[in-house]
Amino acid sequence: MKVDIQSLGTFNELAHEGAEQATRSMCQMTGLDAVVDVTKITLVGREDVGEQLASGEYVGVQFDFEGELAGETVLVLDRAGSETIAESLVPGGDVDETMARSSVEEIGNIMMSGFIDGWADYLETTIEHSPPTYVEAMGEEILPRSDGDDERDQVFVFKSEIEWVGESVEFYIYMLPEYDSLTSLMASHTDAERDAIPVDKLEVFNEMTRDGTKQAAQNVEMMTGIRTEAEVTRLSFAPIEDVPKQVGTDTYVGTVVEFTGVPSGFLLVLFDEASAVHIAEAMMPVEMDADELTEQHENAIEELGNIMTSGFVDGWANVLQTSVEHTPPRLVHDMGQAIVDPLAAQVGQHQEHAFIVDSEMRTDDIAFGAEIHALPNETELRQALDELLVDRADQTEADVEQIF
Amino acid sequence: MKVYDGTTTESPETTAPERVKVGIAEYEVSSDDAVLTTSGLGSCLGVAIHDPAASVAGLVHVMLPSRDEMEGSNDAKFADSGIRELVAAMERAGADRDAMTAKIAGGSDMLDFSQNGSGIGVRNVEVGRRVLSEHDIPVVGEDVGGEHGRSLRLETTTGDLVVKSANRDPITL
Repeated sequence: MKVDIQSLGTFNELAHEGAEQATRSMCQMTGLDAVVDVTKITLVGREDVGEQLASGEYVGVQFDFEGELAGETVLVLDRAGSETIAESLVPGGDVDETMARSSVEEIGNIMMSGFIDGWADYLETTIEHSPPTYVEAMGEEILPRSDGDDERDQVFVFKSEIEWVGESVEFYIYMLPEYDSLTSLMASHTDAERDAIPVDKLEVFNEMTRDGTKQAAQNVEMMTGIRTEAEVTRLSFAPIEDVPKQVGTDTYVGTVVEFTGVPSGFLLVLFDEASAVHIAEAMMPVEMDADELTEQHENAIEELGNIMTSGFVDGWANVLQTSVEHTPPRLVHDMGQAIVDPLAAQVGQHQEHAFIVDSEMRTDDIAFGAEIHALPNETELRQALDELLVDRADQTEADVEQIF
Repeated sequence: MKVYDGTTTESPETTAPERVKVGIAEYEVSSDDAVLTTSGLGSCLGVAIHDPAASVAGLVHVMLPSRDEMEGSNDAKFADSGIRELVAAMERAGADRDAMTAKIAGGSDMLDFSQNGSGIGVRNVEVGRRVLSEHDIPVVGEDVGGEHGRSLRLETTTGDLVVKSANRDPITL
């Protein structure tokens, strides 16, 4: 089954418009002002779907839908957000839990039917949806568990982030289509056979990224003695102007390289400032005990970025059986979004949408988090996937160990 | 990620001006006392235009220099078409082109991997200046280039453009 870039773009746009329609309904009813920040399609491990939700209390409304497109969709709000909604519907009134719940149900019903109807209109088909179910849970538990009807490790997720203007609340619309139903629908909207990417190879690409991240994590451990775990790997697809939003506006420290070969693109290794200080000090022979990032810290980060990059790129090259070269790392210390922006612009000279590869690693020992982001050029990514034999993916680990 | 502190709804800030966020490849026009903000400009360019007499202000966050270089459906993504769009939208909101002044910020050279020719940041600034001059809109303040990112805040009432960077004190243009 093959999908082309155009159909991925179309489906992403569809999810975005659906989210906007849903948000407008909500704004009309409540008088609150909200905007849809980002919508992206992500291919991610089934168990990692909700990892971007914090560990707090969430409430939401969930629907099942079936028809030409089948799956589940859920509107997710944090507890405080649900209270804000309730207060806007009952101005001045005391909001108790029952009222908050019925407000969420009411809003959720309106928003989500709008969302699903948008899809049905575009696809010129009927999508039936179940009555809304009110859900509440901690963190990612809020998302529907798949009943294991299919064996796949990786699933497609459409996720929209909606931001309230002037209120510090965010909420999300997750759509979790059944894999087969989505991919066959996308394939049927794919017309240019020569530009199409086999869907199963996207999964292989994710696996090879996971191996690359493991390799990078091992390199971190080798250098710092800190054992880190490669946590999440995902492949997302979004309009080029949404790419910088993948990284927050907080300040990050890290390295950026351009890699050439098939594929080519950019690779970023980013640490939040606190992590950067911790990890850099772990590499230093003497105690620094500094609160701020000094030049010595930056040098350590540069070195670390370099070996993480090599580990990651080698993981890719092994699966692809090509050589992927990269420039020496450039140290960056700036607002996250501003770091990604020039890279997205460079990629955006030739394409309107981009694939973004993200992975994260964490450790329990110290407050430490690192993110790896890759921004491949689309044409070469397609070529790389084209040449990739699916059964080669399981060779990464063996190859990686032979080398290191 | 912002943190909800639970106090927002209890203290309605009737006096604080509305804050309007301008995303990448977007523009906004304000004719009241709103504050227009945009964040994370690297090689992207922010163009702020102000008509003090009509009290209309507009801000566009462009990503690439010229629409002609590639296909695209979004005018606000490019410096040339983005500025044209912004000026037209401001005129519709009651601004007079003869009274407009512009301030530009962004277009940094950071992480420019281009092997030949000038980088995107530099070209964004060049095209931005050229298109503004074609519209006879003078550039009365700028903070461009360099190797760092910027975030902007444009006040409709005064036309002040506050430029913030990660490692530098804010400056007002």
